[in-house]
Amino acid sequence: MATGLKLKELSKKEDLFTHGHRMCSGCGAPIVVKMILLATDYPVVASNATGCLEVSSCIAEYTAWKIPWIHTAFENAAATISGVETMYRSLKKRGKMDKDIKFISFGGDGGTYDIGLQSLSGAMERGHDMIYVCYDNGAYMNTGIQRSSATPLGADTTTCPAGIAIPGKIRPRKNLTKIMAAHNIPYVAQASPSNWMDLMKKVRKAHEITGPKFINILSPCNRGWRSKTNDAISLSKIGVNTCYWPLYEIENGVTKITFKPKEKKPVVDFLKPQGRFKHLFAPENEWLLTKMQEEVDTEWEKLLKEEQCV
Amino acid sequence: MAKKVQKNLSLMKGNEALAEAAVQAGCRFYAGYPITPQNEIPEFMSRRMPEVGGVFIQAESELAAINMVYGAAAAGVRAMTSSSSPGISLKQEAISFMAAAELPAVIVNIQRGGPGLGNITGSQGDYFQAVKGGGHGDYYCIVYSPFNLQEMWDLTMCSFDKADEYRIPVIILGDGVVGQMMEPFDQKKYIRPKLPPKDWVLDGCKGRKPRVIRSLHMVPGGLEEHNLKLIKKYDNIKKKEVLFDEYFTEDASLIVIGFGIAARIALSAVKKLRDEGKRIGLFRPVTLFPFPSQQIRKRAHKNTRFLVVEMNAGQMVEDVRLSVNGASEVLFFGKPGGAVFNPDELYQKIKGTYRKP
Repeated sequence: MATGLKLKELSKKEDLFTHGHRMCSGCGAPIVVKMILLATDYPVVASNATGCLEVSSCIAEYTAWKIPWIHTAFENAAATISGVETMYRSLKKRGKMDKDIKFISFGGDGGTYDIGLQSLSGAMERGHDMIYVCYDNGAYMNTGIQRSSATPLGADTTTCPAGIAIPGKIRPRKNLTKIMAAHNIPYVAQASPSNWMDLMKKVRKAHEITGPKFINILSPCNRGWRSKTNDAISLSKIGVNTCYWPLYEIENGVTKITFKPKEKKPVVDFLKPQGRFKHLFAPENEWLLTKMQEEVDTEWEKLLKEEQCV
Repeated sequence: MAKKVQKNLSLMKGNEALAEAAVQAGCRFYAGYPITPQNEIPEFMSRRMPEVGGVFIQAESELAAINMVYGAAAAGVRAMTSSSSPGISLKQEAISFMAAAELPAVIVNIQRGGPGLGNITGSQGDYFQAVKGGGHGDYYCIVYSPFNLQEMWDLTMCSFDKADEYRIPVIILGDGVVGQMMEPFDQKKYIRPKLPPKDWVLDGCKGRKPRVIRSLHMVPGGLEEHNLKLIKKYDNIKKKEVLFDEYFTEDASLIVIGFGIAARIALSAVKKLRDEGKRIGLFRPVTLFPFPSQQIRKRAHKNTRFLVVEMNAGQMVEDVRLSVNGASEVLFFGKPGGAVFNPDELYQKIKGTYRKP
């Protein structure tokens, strides 16, 4: 029996990602995981790539997960869940199991955009019945804020430090959601914890679709973003309202923007509260702000056009 | 009151000392990928390389980083990559390729506890991997084991020279402790030794005969011939490149053997026991390949016993036993899983093992 997506009903539901984990205060990732598991009404098995979420949710003999959960090396979350899911299908086929079980893979942007891209692409192409969730905080936060291919243009990280030589990262971020869409899988979506209903609906929809699904979720990290610890939700909201992080889904090749901000805010609103972009507000880096705004505008325009092309 | 530090001494983290030594030794290409406890190396290189006109690349994986080094080395530049244990496992394929293609490069392993993701504290669990080849096929890398920051500096410089001299990948087998700790050391100036010309580099063959760098030998007998050539090189290295260090071993009836940070910790215990009048010494291999077998064999007598101490479940002890070849008793005390010895624990163990001659 599916729980309604109403606060009243959801608040009575057991948290499957529970207290006791050691994520930093104000981290976006545990909020995202909680929402995903709250939206899941099936027995669920998760695999987790090495990263912040993994290392702080299973310290020694403790675990914050109330579901079967398997940790694997940095590059292998999608491969490991592929093995688990295939074995499950085999058992089901042979009549040794009849439960309807769902499979989710969690990875950060380092483990998904970079080192895990090969195993993720393989899993999507083979067509495993699974959801891959990327919690995207835009850098290798677990090892000390090194740049990843999800790090936005201009961001200051420990391996692309802003200074005289470079003004932070000089390459734009990779559009992973579109890369996954190019796999022609049945469902691809982008979500944000600020729009929790939208996020949970997407997870729910994904569970009802057979085959490989991918959801990319913005996950603020106050350590890496150099923002306030109580800013995770408001910052992700600004991310959505500036169209830096548009909320949309691509179901069987059809693009639908699930949230259109009434008034599209300038991207500086998103950048300003974050210390990692501080240097961009120096006069000599103004061109980068313009470039970032252009980048966001272009992607948003593209998305609007895609939506019209039904 | 803080002691006054001499002017030629520097205080920095082990990882940073290593990275700066590499830069001063002429390393102009570094490719890396984040993993604890070596992150200071890529972070340092990302700042430092642009200052000296070098290249820093953060790769999308360890696999990519080591293969970038493969490419840079083939182009003739002094190249380095670094990682920690799980990342070094991923690099093994390319290390085997580089050994086969005889490409000089420096690979730094700031070891952490294993197997698997293990933990992030210092460990010596990768001895076998570093010393016995690590990847597939018959090959070795020169392996240095620094035990303080001075050696992090000196051996890094030496690594680039030896890599070029023998056209071989060199591994610096550090660990989380020497990588993370700070202590004063002398920033000795790099002096370039006389090295053979790099007449194999792929730098454009206009006006000269094309050169080939490869690891594939499909002609019957070709690979055998290539392997025999490599073996000759390894034998030469074994003859010339052994480095070791010893303390109070002349009259010792118990010789403690350890490498890297284990030897550093054991040294304080051994010194204390010497002060108590016990005839105990310490022998420390600085090169793990080539291993100081003959030097250990020479010190093995009926009346000498060896106690091998390692921060693993017992790896180098096998090489010590092979070296001693039954001439002395060889005992082992280990601490696996990223647990670090404390000096008192070693003191007690060594004291308990010691017998009055």
